[in-house]
Amino acid sequence: MARDALVQEARELLAAMEQALMQIEAEGQDAEAINAVFRAAHTIKGSAGLFAFERIVSFTHIVESVLDRVRNGSQPLDANLLTLLLECSDYIAMLVDAIAARQEEQEPDAERRARLEAALTALLGVVTATPPPPATVAQPQGEPQGKVEVESGESVSSDNWHISLRFSPDVLRSGMDPLSFLRYLGTLGHIVHIVTLPDALPAAAEFDAETCYLGFEIDFASPVDRQTIEGVFEFVRDDSDIRILPPHSKVAEYISLIDGLPEPSGRLGEILVKGGALTESELTRVLAQQAAEPVPAKPLGALLVENDVVPQAVVAAALTKQKQGEEKRAQEQKFIKVEVSKLDALIDLVGELVIAGAGANVVARRQKDVQFEEATQALSSLVEQIRDAALTLRMVPIGEVFQRFPRVVRDISRELGKEIQLVVTGADTELDKSMVEKLSDPLMHIVRNAMDHGIEPTEARTAIGKPAAGTLRLNAFHESGCIVIEVSDDGRGLDRERILRKAIERGLVQPDQQLSDSDVFRLIFEPGFSTAETVTNLSGRGVGMDVVRKNIEALRGEVEVLSRPAQGTTVRIRLPLTLAIIDGFQVMTGEAVFVIPLDLVIECVDVSSHDTRHNILKLRGEPLPFVRLRELFELPEAGEVRESLVVVQYGQQRAGLVVDRLVGEFQAVIKPLGVLFSDMKGISGSTILGDGRVALILDVPHLIQRTARAQAAQSWPRQASALSDR
Amino acid sequence: MSQYPTTTNPGGTALAVQGVSRQYLTFTLAGELFAMPIEQIREIIEFSGLTEIPLMPAFLRGVINVRGAVVPVIDLAVRFGRPRTEIARRTCIVILELEQEGLLLLLGVLVDAVNEVLTVEPGQVEPRPSFGAKIRAEFIEGMINLNERFVIALDIHQVLSVEELTTLIGMAAGEGQGAGE
Repeated sequence: MARDALVQEARELLAAMEQALMQIEAEGQDAEAINAVFRAAHTIKGSAGLFAFERIVSFTHIVESVLDRVRNGSQPLDANLLTLLLECSDYIAMLVDAIAARQEEQEPDAERRARLEAALTALLGVVTATPPPPATVAQPQGEPQGKVEVESGESVSSDNWHISLRFSPDVLRSGMDPLSFLRYLGTLGHIVHIVTLPDALPAAAEFDAETCYLGFEIDFASPVDRQTIEGVFEFVRDDSDIRILPPHSKVAEYISLIDGLPEPSGRLGEILVKGGALTESELTRVLAQQAAEPVPAKPLGALLVENDVVPQAVVAAALTKQKQGEEKRAQEQKFIKVEVSKLDALIDLVGELVIAGAGANVVARRQKDVQFEEATQALSSLVEQIRDAALTLRMVPIGEVFQRFPRVVRDISRELGKEIQLVVTGADTELDKSMVEKLSDPLMHIVRNAMDHGIEPTEARTAIGKPAAGTLRLNAFHESGCIVIEVSDDGRGLDRERILRKAIERGLVQPDQQLSDSDVFRLIFEPGFSTAETVTNLSGRGVGMDVVRKNIEALRGEVEVLSRPAQGTTVRIRLPLTLAIIDGFQVMTGEAVFVIPLDLVIECVDVSSHDTRHNILKLRGEPLPFVRLRELFELPEAGEVRESLVVVQYGQQRAGLVVDRLVGEFQAVIKPLGVLFSDMKGISGSTILGDGRVALILDVPHLIQRTARAQAAQSWPRQASALSDR
Repeated sequence: MSQYPTTTNPGGTALAVQGVSRQYLTFTLAGELFAMPIEQIREIIEFSGLTEIPLMPAFLRGVINVRGAVVPVIDLAVRFGRPRTEIARRTCIVILELEQEGLLLLLGVLVDAVNEVLTVEPGQVEPRPSFGAKIRAEFIEGMINLNERFVIALDIHQVLSVEELTTLIGMAAGEGQGAGE
């Protein structure tokens, strides 16, 4: 568990690091961004150290050293170093992956590591010529008290840090090994003296093997700063009692240390003397002062002011700063990390609740009891709210996917020798977390394609009067219950003729067949279809646009391509907002109940008054192609029924579905039909009705496409010219 | 076909080799008695209707709701190349839990009636015959010798091979698409 947490944390930090580096590249050096990079590297190193993942610690250490010099201004951060740092973050990511795969004993790519390390060390070597300022000064956020205390006459003579550790009794149960912290501490400096305090140990009979009873007093010699030492205990800081006194600490701090710990003060004093933290005479003075002090646990600030060490104003400033820090921490805690499986379990339960609620509604209606009906209605509206709230728990901004792309675009454009700028809009558009994960690969593929095939080389662009730099746009927005994601480039556009030629060659279309532009462009999603004349490093790896389409369709989504010669191509992905629950519209054909996602239903029309002979209905003057579900699904004929038509719309396309009966709206919990039906078309899933029966959810986009195509195939000899104009 | 772990070896003699008794559920299918090991059986439910799925092969009768999970129901008789099972008073659906590629999959099989649970001693099981059983040989795990008659013990992983069923369903779905695709 702890290992997973480490991996996840490291990945998040790496993403933050990369983002900060990209920001520096785009907007120039920025102290905050550099700090963010440094903090990320530092924290990764620290956490890895706790688990003794040596490979990551030693590598990150060098990166951190370089970053430290950047931070204190002794190393300029130029384009080369940025590239190097990005590569280093990639390599750390590989090391983290190795940990995730439990292969941390192996070096993922020794050659690459050696190359990166050499480059880093070379930088460090150059800079050492002008000696770097001592580490403590290099820390801009170093403890302000540190210096003051050194000057104070009341401070003790020890050169060592003093660390008091009282681990939480539960530390072992939370999967932490107290010893690993000490071991890691040892890598930052020299443990001069360590005393184990067994005072809390109970009688043998009450001894619980899983409880940690031991405390430690440590004298520690190290040039690092307080933050670094605190960082060692990052993972246990919340539950454990950890006190760190800097070298030459004030006497008063020792008093408060002695007072604050559970062991008898005399004994603790002895330990301190033995370890060299205090001399005998200092101890006497400490103890005397402790006895004289009425409120020994006086705040540090007050003590400092009392002793005229620092002026009141400075303390006030320090306190304000401290408070800000706390506020920031409080803000950070507004987010809770939740295991995805817990969230899934909750959504499942809400789903059951929705089904049970629908069941109660059915019973209430049947009983014709007004009060009962009102009660179930109130319940239903609450369930609906709970459903929506539960679903929003899984909603995340699409920016999570988009944020990978600045880096990708940067690297690919370099590789291709093209100048490409990336414009991201709508990054705060939200969609279901489970979709975010599955979107990343298809999007990556489309982006690569656009950069490789879409955007022309710089010379070709300038020759036809386009700006030298190509533009790639990522955009996301909500549209009628869907999320739409667009990847557009301002490149050369798709070559309609070449695609058509290729398709005819491969027998996908007939030479005399007339196709609309969108039909032609759709061909690029056919398996193995590539119009690239040369296989470059980026494309032609055997993964085609057909995989993209498959991935998107697996999410109940649709891909569409728009393209204009010399102006560019837009790939538009349309996805449902969530995969779990939808508002559905129930219809019946014969005895079978089908559900249409309500978002796609425009209106319902009584067809008995219309002429329905050609499967095209004239609706308010416009032709509307329709299909009978009974015919489509080869269901048995029923006798005389008064048919109804449901007008559905998907994207720009409209069509009608003719059914026997309209039942009404309800909340449908989507139940996947499972692996057996993975190749099935026309039905996207199933749901459970109030009475426990299973109803099938219609795959409207697919039905519309099929209807449109079937009719086009029937009618094109006559309407060929009309079709090609579309 | 052979990638699914089964408890048999190709000769169907594994039961005897194991040397322990095993329990089997016996059931009838068009008047004939069959058995399947109970390890995979999760429950048996009375038939009370199912939802048919359009354009599916005949062996796939539809889906039912088993406490919130949508479970496909296979008509075993059709799977064995015989006519559809007619729904009658004693028609049951046996819900099986099969592990396929690390995932647990629920599948229902439609049978005319379930009879009893048999405890079968190793010596009671004969290897499958090379012909004569009128169903595909690989569906048979062995023959249980039961007072003067034999009961076919099914190799349920073969009968309900997800890979094979999915292919068959995919083919049917593909045909149902018509010329549009």
